[in-house]
Amino acid sequence: MPEPSNRRDLRLDFFRGVALVFIFVDHIPENFLSYFTLQAVAFFDAAEVFIFISGFTAAIVYGQRLAAKGWLYATAQIWRRAWQLYVAHVFLFVIFIAEVSYTAMAFNNPMYNEEMRVADFLDQPYISVIKALLLQFQPTFLDILPLYIVMMLIFPVILLGISYRPSLVLIPSLAAYLAVQLFGVPVPAYPEGHVWYFNPLAWQFLFVSGAVLGQFWARGRSLPRLMPALLPLALVLLGAVLVVRVSWTLSSLWDGFPALFLREMWPVNKSNLSPLRLVPFFAAVLVVAAWIGPQARFLRARAARPLVVAGQQSLEVFCLGIVLSALGHFVLAEFPHGIAMQLAVNAVGILAMLLFAGMIDWYKRMDRAPMVAAGGGAR
Amino acid sequence: MRRLALMCLLVAAFLPAPVRAERDECEVPPDLAQMGERLPRLAARLEAREPVTIVAIGGASTKGAAAGAPDLAYPSRLQEALSALYPGVPIKVVNKGVPRQTAAQMFDRFPSDVIAEDPVLTIWETGIVDAVRGVEIDEFAGAVQRGIDELRNRDIDIILVDMQFSRSTATVIDFERYLHTLHRIGDLNDIYVFPRYAMMRYWSEENVFNFDGVAADDRAKLAARVYNCIGRRLAAAIRRAVP
Repeated sequence: MPEPSNRRDLRLDFFRGVALVFIFVDHIPENFLSYFTLQAVAFFDAAEVFIFISGFTAAIVYGQRLAAKGWLYATAQIWRRAWQLYVAHVFLFVIFIAEVSYTAMAFNNPMYNEEMRVADFLDQPYISVIKALLLQFQPTFLDILPLYIVMMLIFPVILLGISYRPSLVLIPSLAAYLAVQLFGVPVPAYPEGHVWYFNPLAWQFLFVSGAVLGQFWARGRSLPRLMPALLPLALVLLGAVLVVRVSWTLSSLWDGFPALFLREMWPVNKSNLSPLRLVPFFAAVLVVAAWIGPQARFLRARAARPLVVAGQQSLEVFCLGIVLSALGHFVLAEFPHGIAMQLAVNAVGILAMLLFAGMIDWYKRMDRAPMVAAGGGAR
Repeated sequence: MRRLALMCLLVAAFLPAPVRAERDECEVPPDLAQMGERLPRLAARLEAREPVTIVAIGGASTKGAAAGAPDLAYPSRLQEALSALYPGVPIKVVNKGVPRQTAAQMFDRFPSDVIAEDPVLTIWETGIVDAVRGVEIDEFAGAVQRGIDELRNRDIDIILVDMQFSRSTATVIDFERYLHTLHRIGDLNDIYVFPRYAMMRYWSEENVFNFDGVAADDRAKLAARVYNCIGRRLAAAIRRAVP
């Protein structure tokens, strides 16, 4: 059954749920299933979907709070969310340390010690732990939450700006994005020489764009005039991207297959959110907005329900996905991994994420339900 | 008859086992032994029977300290294998392995460590430290490309060597993107990328070389055997590119 509020835009939940599954799948190295995720057919991947939808929903949710209870309250709520994200980040970092320490202790091989040592930072834990707490140290796969946290920290200002006049936020945001594209401004991280994998100066533009559109949507406004004119253009662009990207994917599988425009376009920069990723992503957003209604039938179908729920509980499911992909990789590395084993790891992981989302959803509903005499089952 | 069989068995048992094992242990599946590219300058040099200098630039696994002695590192093994393949041609493989350097740092060493040696072929082993440190893919790709351009401008043949495989570290280091990038650069430039990662994974999965449960003292010997195989497989690949 749909959520109590029928106006809920199920597209947001569904596609965020799909993005979370893709992030899990893509994070398992050499995963056969990753040939079937977004990154195999487009220059952008699930990260764009995740950040964009996060901006979009943040504008809707906190926009309501802002209208109802004022800026101060909305700010407190947003920062509370930022705090939750931060705690989740620290939690994932602790798990990462456990994994690395285990690897470093259990495995001591002269062939790899000298430069493949993963535990270098354990030599100076007092620095690296503090750097991690300051979001400066971002080991593998612990890089998207810091971006999200920073976005939430500045979101009160963004929200105030877009509710007053969207261009007030959009123009500086676009300017920062363009500055990164033109001058390649990196955001330094720890250790020396590292940068933020998701350059916040570039990626903020995607988040802000999502927020602006979300705010439009919440106010019942749309962009009717531009849409029909741009739709064919978006379709052509997406089609071209699809052909090019799929040719790359196929050429990496079969030597003889030509990779179109590889020399000209590759590598497509993810850290700085290259326009090659951003523009087709906006085209995809346009196509989805035009073709799929907020309550489209397939979104309400029983089969889509688990993904919708996963999208609604995105933070918890995201964290679980990161832990599971590390575990899955560990399993695949420890045991001989044929295709069957790989599929099993994927299936178990995805199932665990969906079940977990269902469980949280159930718990939250029980929590919200009024306590009546016979309602002992609530706890 | 019985006695003869027993004798044979006994004799077999006393044959130098390592020699027999060595011949098999470096085996890889045919698709890992493919070599489509050519090494024209090296070929010309070998044909003319002129002295050949090859520079092996890379990191810790090129330096090969894990095996215990410099002549057990893969460049030395390569030199030995090549000399056997091309008798009568003086072949020298210079080891320029320096641990813990990114592709960009290795590129900075080119003038002193590569160009100064005046090699006809350069074998560039790179990508491990970039993956460990999470260097940006663009930067990594850019550094490798600059290196290739530099060598090409100086008419030096090139072979790239990709990363080492290790079951355990693979879980915490994201090698895949760097591996993929290196091979793609090879494709774009028509340069052979020696698939060390895939070979070592094959050896690990087939339990040819398995470091689990090996006493610390024996690990160096095992490392030496791996380096030996790397050197021989490289020699075999070169042989295929230089008919």
